[in-house]
Amino acid sequence: MPHDDEILVRAADLRKSYGEHEAVRGVDFEIRRGEAFGFLGANGAGKSTTMRMIGCVSQPTGGELEVFGRDPHTQGAEIRARLGVVPQDNTLDGMLTVFENLVVYAGYFGIKKKVAKVKAAELLEFVQLSSRAKDQVSELSGGMQRRLAIARSLINEPELVILDEPTTGLDPQARHLVWERLFQLKHRGVSILLTTHYMDEAEQLCDRLVVMDEGRIIASGSPRELIDTHVTKEVVELRFGPAHTTELAELALTLNGIGAQIEALPDKILVYTDDADDTNAALEARKIHPTSVLARRATLEDVFLRLTGRALVEDEA
Amino acid sequence: MTTVDRSAPTPAQAARRAFNLQLALYKHVWHGTVFTSGLLPILYMVSIGIGVGAYIDSSAVGGLTYAEFIAPGLVCSVAVMMLGNDMVFPVFGGYADWGGHYLAQRATPLSPVDMLNGHLLYAVVFRPFTNCAIVALVLAFFGVYPNGWWAVFAVIAAALVAAALAPWLHFWASSLKNDANLNMIFRFAVIPISLFSGVFFPASEMPVFLQPLVWASPLWHGTELARAATADVAPALPPAAHIAYLAALAVTGWFAARWRIQKRLNF
Repeated sequence: MPHDDEILVRAADLRKSYGEHEAVRGVDFEIRRGEAFGFLGANGAGKSTTMRMIGCVSQPTGGELEVFGRDPHTQGAEIRARLGVVPQDNTLDGMLTVFENLVVYAGYFGIKKKVAKVKAAELLEFVQLSSRAKDQVSELSGGMQRRLAIARSLINEPELVILDEPTTGLDPQARHLVWERLFQLKHRGVSILLTTHYMDEAEQLCDRLVVMDEGRIIASGSPRELIDTHVTKEVVELRFGPAHTTELAELALTLNGIGAQIEALPDKILVYTDDADDTNAALEARKIHPTSVLARRATLEDVFLRLTGRALVEDEA
Repeated sequence: MTTVDRSAPTPAQAARRAFNLQLALYKHVWHGTVFTSGLLPILYMVSIGIGVGAYIDSSAVGGLTYAEFIAPGLVCSVAVMMLGNDMVFPVFGGYADWGGHYLAQRATPLSPVDMLNGHLLYAVVFRPFTNCAIVALVLAFFGVYPNGWWAVFAVIAAALVAAALAPWLHFWASSLKNDANLNMIFRFAVIPISLFSGVFFPASEMPVFLQPLVWASPLWHGTELARAATADVAPALPPAAHIAYLAALAVTGWFAARWRIQKRLNF
């Protein structure tokens, strides 16, 4: 099949098994040049395994995978030469300085030292770490290390940058700084592939995404398409004081007919509705008085909940 | 349009690239090697070579002065000591959150074998031909080389010892999942090998039941070769046999280490 240069990654019935355990159970997707593509799912959903296969560090056990039109099995080194990777653990060298981390890494791609130094200085400027160039990595905060890992991933001018949970473990301020740099990358036309279990991150950064659960893709599209397709416009969150799982499940039964769907969570009840005011009025009419009512627009979190029947954060422990 | 080369590196290029990381790290710790390469041999030579040597009859050590007897073994045992540092903690840390440099390199055009070769290049070539060479040079000031310039071959013998041990240490450190066991290598390998390989006394003086352990020690084979070079003492076996043993350990160790690193880094 002729390779379309605009398609960076193409997977068909892609599978990965570890012994009896099937981590990825036949997924199909395409990642196009210039887009920000996301894998969304709880821990163990198979998104990191899929990323590793795209990054040519894990061999598929079934199906087909092409990256830049090449076969990861036989052309892994050529593919990796065109990828930038930001692993979840950063894997920066704590004994080296910030600047050295970039220059040494550039060397792995065959970039001459003189050129590497120029690139390193530019990238540190880009991630706003120029003033820390001579510091040892171990002296940087978590957010700074993350930004340095992003800078490092760009040293080889990659056609696709892979980010594995780019803001996990960062405080809100550091998260926003990372997001801001990733937006800049998008504007420069760099293709981005990321995994996350943060819905807001996926909504902010991804043009298109797939939702994974138990090794399968259960939905795909733009964040807006997913919300429009799978959930209502609005969600009303109802809390009933100390009421918990079983009591809430019973309370949920009394809400039948209100909104499009009712979902009882361990700490609250969600009412999916196209009009929150109507829902509030219906609650009032039935003389149901929650201790708190919060109406908000539907998010990807709700999509995940509707599709899988559970919240993402439940599986994080 | 990118200015970066997108082709896969040759194995030699890739190993060189991986080696450069070790070199960058070495630039941060080189001053520590001033002690192991410069001061330590002086201390050994003054305290043991000259001090203890004053009580040892030269007939007990093949007609050499005691300082001449221990000098070649010291050159080789420094190689073993350095391996304890270069091929244990840095290898274990390559897979872990102590830098995880193997994990970082895995995302680049380098393959696991390239990473192994780069690390070995550092431990087997760079370190012996810099640090062991400095040791040999420092010892020269004590006039311990009756065979003159042939002493240069003691450094090559040290490199052979490193080649025989380094891949096995890499294999071992790559097999560990817990850092609590890392120091075992010093207690059960580096120190016993350094003490019982004929560096400080003729191996033939060891109890008969321990002789097989001596013969198994790469340092003993290296010391025999080095002593032949520095003092023209006939080695226990033909030089080719000593070299063949060390080469066999190096090759089998390389295959074992390659298998292990591939297993660790292919997810």
